[in-house]
Amino acid sequence: MLKKVLSEQFIIYGDVSMPKGFEINSLELIKSIFESLYHEKDNSFCKDWSKLDSYAREFSKIKYDICLETINTWGNIYIPNEKTGSLINVDYMNLKNSPDFTLLYGINTKDCFVKIHYDDNRCKGRSFDIELKHNMFIIFPSTNIYSIDNNQKDSLNFIQTITYELK
Amino acid sequence: MAHFAKISEENIVLSVMVVDNKDTLNADGVEDESVGQQYLETHCNWPAHLWIKTSWSTFENTHINGGTPFRGNYAGVGNTWDSDNQIFWKTKPYPSWVKNNTTATWNSPIGDAPALTAEEIAAQKHYAWNEANQSWDLTNINT
Repeated sequence: MLKKVLSEQFIIYGDVSMPKGFEINSLELIKSIFESLYHEKDNSFCKDWSKLDSYAREFSKIKYDICLETINTWGNIYIPNEKTGSLINVDYMNLKNSPDFTLLYGINTKDCFVKIHYDDNRCKGRSFDIELKHNMFIIFPSTNIYSIDNNQKDSLNFIQTITYELK
Repeated sequence: MAHFAKISEENIVLSVMVVDNKDTLNADGVEDESVGQQYLETHCNWPAHLWIKTSWSTFENTHINGGTPFRGNYAGVGNTWDSDNQIFWKTKPYPSWVKNNTTATWNSPIGDAPALTAEEIAAQKHYAWNEANQSWDLTNINT
């Protein structure tokens, strides 16, 4: 009797653990998000974004042998009590140019929850809830619909999104 | 060109970066690893002491062009940096295998596999390590 796994869904999450003195500077990332929104550009590249991107790609490779290539990035600001609708980062009309994975990174986030929807064979409409804390990242398949709940009442939450193609 | 391995705080190689030789020269015009490390810290946002120079022409502690080997092996992603022995180690193939600092390779605890006889070669046999039995087993190449 043999078993063959045809498909697998997984998420990777954790803190971005940078060497002391080289931590990601939240203020620089927030500034970069504001700049990109002001200039109406998706991309918000800066030195601290580069630290995050390198960390995600390099540690995914050495820990799980997942080789990622960066596709796109943008930052979002969530006001108190804001709840997004359903989000998805693949274009089903253009799957060839869609990303394989989505990374969400919490910047000064507080009471911020991500709900990732998935199907488990005939059990449809399941979801996995995870709190996106400050300096924490979540990587999940871009084909999964997700939503973000900003439950705190008094400050903004910032989330940097990066999409990746599997190499 | 100089090659530097970017390592994690757990000494795992994360990537290898190529640096122009001129960016590794000290004030006297001599190649200095610490200059290259500082250059990489400035431009790649990773601490200087976690950049380790490596030689692309060193393999199993031998220089492929007959020169002086440098740090055992050319660093590859996922390799481990051993600062005590100044060697980049490939991934350990089996839990029981031990380091050979002279050749910068992993060896079985009972040594190398026996040499194949002419008959065994003709029959497409080879020795495969059996971790459970701690022995070299003669098997067919295709199995």
